Amino acid sequence: MLRPSSVLSRRRGDGRSPLLLAAALVMALPGFLATACTNQAGTGTALNKAATTAGGSVAAAGQAPATGRQVSSTRALSLLSQAAQAAILMSYQGQEVVTRWSDGSGSVLVSDIWHVSGGQTVTQTLAAGDSLSSQPYLSSDDDSQAPEGVLGVTVPLIRLLETHYTVVYAGAGSAGSRVAQVVEARRGDGSLAARFWLDDATMLPLEREVFDSASHVISQDVFIQVRFASQAQAATPVSGPSDPPGPWTDPLSNAQLLALHTQGWLVLAGLPGELSLFTGARTTTSTGTVLDLGYSDGLSVVSVFEQRGDLAAKLAGWQRSTVDGHVIYVAEPDQRSLTWSSHGMVYTVVADAPVQTVDAVVGALPHDTPPGFWKRMSRGFVRLASWVNPFH
Amino acid sequence: MSHLGDRLSALVDGELDGAERDRAHAHLASCEQCRTEAAELRVLKQKLSTLMTGAPAEAAMTKRLIAMTGPGGPMPARRGLLRVAPGSRLATSRASRRPGARGPRSARRRRYLMLGTVSLVVGLGTAAFSAGGGGEAVPGPRITPPVEMYSVEHAITTGQLPFAPPMSSPGASSPGASSPGASSPGASLP
Repeated sequence: MLRPSSVLSRRRGDGRSPLLLAAALVMALPGFLATACTNQAGTGTALNKAATTAGGSVAAAGQAPATGRQVSSTRALSLLSQAAQAAILMSYQGQEVVTRWSDGSGSVLVSDIWHVSGGQTVTQTLAAGDSLSSQPYLSSDDDSQAPEGVLGVTVPLIRLLETHYTVVYAGAGSAGSRVAQVVEARRGDGSLAARFWLDDATMLPLEREVFDSASHVISQDVFIQVRFASQAQAATPVSGPSDPPGPWTDPLSNAQLLALHTQGWLVLAGLPGELSLFTGARTTTSTGTVLDLGYSDGLSVVSVFEQRGDLAAKLAGWQRSTVDGHVIYVAEPDQRSLTWSSHGMVYTVVADAPVQTVDAVVGALPHDTPPGFWKRMSRGFVRLASWVNPFH
Repeated sequence: MSHLGDRLSALVDGELDGAERDRAHAHLASCEQCRTEAAELRVLKQKLSTLMTGAPAEAAMTKRLIAMTGPGGPMPARRGLLRVAPGSRLATSRASRRPGARGPRSARRRRYLMLGTVSLVVGLGTAAFSAGGGGEAVPGPRITPPVEMYSVEHAITTGQLPFAPPMSSPGASSPGASSPGASSPGASLP
């Protein structure tokens, strides 16, 4: 069983001691206000640096005046944009630990990442600290059009984050041994939805925590043992990467998506959970065209893959399950990929979202309704006839 | 315990493969009800299969029964019956009966016919209902979603790691790829 100490040492909730929280607020507020008013990017005061640490308490930005909040939000968005660019433009390597919790259980993924500035990203999954578990995966963004990033910090997702959440700068802190700038995303009711730690020197995202509405951490991504520039390039593995993921098209335009909609593909503008369509791509496989539609609110991300046809009778690696009364199949062991077929279309959902959101998304997509009595009888007689047909 | 339901007919048809079939067999091993239904379904299928090919006499009998129960159709003449000469005593006796009145033998025969018809209809109906479960056949390819490819595309789209089970092609290998954890990157937490 994998127990990365950096992950398991954290508590699942945000229920830290009220006394500590109050003390941190007293210490952080002056520093936050000073920083917000001077609008200085990059470095903060020693006071607010000490007040905010990774996984620690942060300033209560919601208490700032409206103007200060606006400045804070502008600064936070600027920092996130710089982080998205840094993830593409910097050369770096490190180890990413992804932990997700759902229904009281959690799962951990540990991967090595190598990224060359403006070029390729190689990831290799580790089952444990010293054993490699999967084929290295190579993704190429030579055309600079693939919206890759680190810890979910990409330009399109930042735009959605700005739309659906209040993004605020929460002061300076630390992630591991590195000084970091902390940015928070808050819901309309003021509750914390996510917290980002961005490397102070390079703006590369170092850590992200996502919270549900009950302030429980539902996912935590930590980028550790980060090295930059020439060190990273020298450490790029020489072993051959796996095959590219396939010739997915560039992001489809609105006109292309509309054309696909008129051709019978299901292209929804949004999904439950305030998820908005933000990207689309397609590829051609041996069994036909596959359409990928990406939906997000800036934090939760759901990809809906559509392909004409029917599910195979044998689905190795998938387990039959039920969501909201609908029969679906869940991929093992990640449990975040779901598939089913309806009216000649196979839908596959890959989700990084709370369980409630995933269930709502599955319920909002088409499903076959159980056949009525006469339809079932009719189908049965046809099948019986096929059984007695000697030429069948 | 949830029973096999619609999958029962698929199992009898041999349409289940691999893990699904194993799970169905495992359920059958522990569920007498489903076992009984499966046995009945198999017997029914075998009988229906031999109806048209292996048992022409039975098929002829079935056809005859169906023909006899047709709406308003005449009853077929029975062989061996004595022809009764018009004007004879027997003929006079029959003619003197009320229209529609039948003898005890005729009533018994009608009961048998009705019983056979009802049995046939109920049996076929039950079989059709059982066989009609499950999904409807859809034209087009049969697809097993390439979850790894989808997960990678999802990761590219969202700037995250491909959090998918490594189901690389059999020929693919990497240093240490044969480690026990190769099939499970997502280790469970307590």
